[in-house]
Amino acid sequence: MSLVSVIIILVTWKFFSLYFNSEFVLPSPEKTLLTTLKLFVDDRFLVTVGTTILRSLTGFIVSFFLGLLAGIAAGVNPYVDAFLRPVLVTIRSVPIIAIILLALIWLTPGTVPVFIAMLTMFPFICTNVSDGIKSVDRDLVKMAKFYRVENARIVKELYIPAIMPFIISGASSAMGIGWRAIITGEVLSHPRYGIGTLMQNAQTFLNVDVVIAWTIIAVVISYGFEKVIRWSERKLIIWRA
Amino acid sequence: MTLEVKGLHKRYGEVEIFRDFSISFTEGMITCILGPSGCGKTTLLNILGKIIPPDGGTLAGFDGKIVSYIFQEPRLLPWKSVRGNIEFVLDRNLLPEERKKITDRFISLVELEDFADYYPAKLSGGMRQRVSIARAFAYPSDIILMDEPLKGLDIKLKLNLIQTFSRIWQEDRRTVIFVTHDVDEALLLGNEIVVFSRAPVEIVTQKQIGVPIEERSLNSDYLKNLEKELLRALGG
Repeated sequence: MSLVSVIIILVTWKFFSLYFNSEFVLPSPEKTLLTTLKLFVDDRFLVTVGTTILRSLTGFIVSFFLGLLAGIAAGVNPYVDAFLRPVLVTIRSVPIIAIILLALIWLTPGTVPVFIAMLTMFPFICTNVSDGIKSVDRDLVKMAKFYRVENARIVKELYIPAIMPFIISGASSAMGIGWRAIITGEVLSHPRYGIGTLMQNAQTFLNVDVVIAWTIIAVVISYGFEKVIRWSERKLIIWRA
Repeated sequence: MTLEVKGLHKRYGEVEIFRDFSISFTEGMITCILGPSGCGKTTLLNILGKIIPPDGGTLAGFDGKIVSYIFQEPRLLPWKSVRGNIEFVLDRNLLPEERKKITDRFISLVELEDFADYYPAKLSGGMRQRVSIARAFAYPSDIILMDEPLKGLDIKLKLNLIQTFSRIWQEDRRTVIFVTHDVDEALLLGNEIVVFSRAPVEIVTQKQIGVPIEERSLNSDYLKNLEKELLRALGG
């Protein structure tokens, strides 16, 4: 079925490219595919893609640990939870573009996308971790306490496995949103290397095929991240029915 | 040896559950506490297990005693196998081989050898409760407290679990205090049966059953007569 949907997209694309009949509006799928392949052999390809991936991983790792700490604090302590709630709602409801505009004033072009990624990813990780902790079965904790299991083992063998599914689903949403935010950030901040930078350049010269080619590459990389996360989920959560 | 509760007081707000209540338990016996729902049976177990403090009264013979529990729900960790769930409660000072030996012994006593590496999600309800029985016995306790562990199971499963339970119990005859509102369960499993009244709790009647557990049948005249007496005591 997925194959059918890809074919329908390609056919529709081809139809519209024939209809407009202009490279500057919508190039044909085969031309775009060719452009995509040409990008791969471009000597700036690796450093461009590598820099953008590095930015997203940096943003992800930083927000993951901050989110984990804040999420645990909020999950354990209702006061921290009440304190963080409006902060998270604010971060989430501020338009990304507003944050980017401010970041452009405050930060250097290379760090803007990382900062944006951190801000967009952090709420997902934090909320999921604190929800995970709140969802831990109290009866299981009581059971462990009845049997006088040491607190360190209750954390390691009861709390951590219980919140693992929440952490993974948080990581997955964070990566999906964060990756898009990074590229948006690059388009506007124009760092030396970055997928967004090259997309912006191509757009300036009306190289529509290049813009679409980079989009395809960005989608493929994002799909790769998702695969890695799902793979680690299967490895870590083998106990589900 | 007996375990004794003397002059127990406990109230929750306006509800007085125990007022100068005393009861004793014979060690090495299965005592069934039978009573209407909400009469304070679970409260008594929690006091005996030192999970909630009484408002007054003394416990004699409980000091230094280790307690294990069988709950109404199996309360297994979903991310641990049958083996892992039993090992979870064992003392970390034991060597891993010793823990494994104890675990394996109780897994085979509840006849789950073929399922030792299964996660709870793959087991039936009855099997899960058998794991929780194995866990309670594998834990080196002096007393096992059971809070309606058979509630909600069908009669066939109940009989099966009662057989499993009594088979393991024969091995070391631990002190068991078993709370239920089901007369049949009490008749099948108890050496002593104590009937509680509604709160504030008083002991309505106390019976002993001499017939060994494995020879009991609910169809025997002896148990049928006893059942009538207990039902009358519960209704009164």
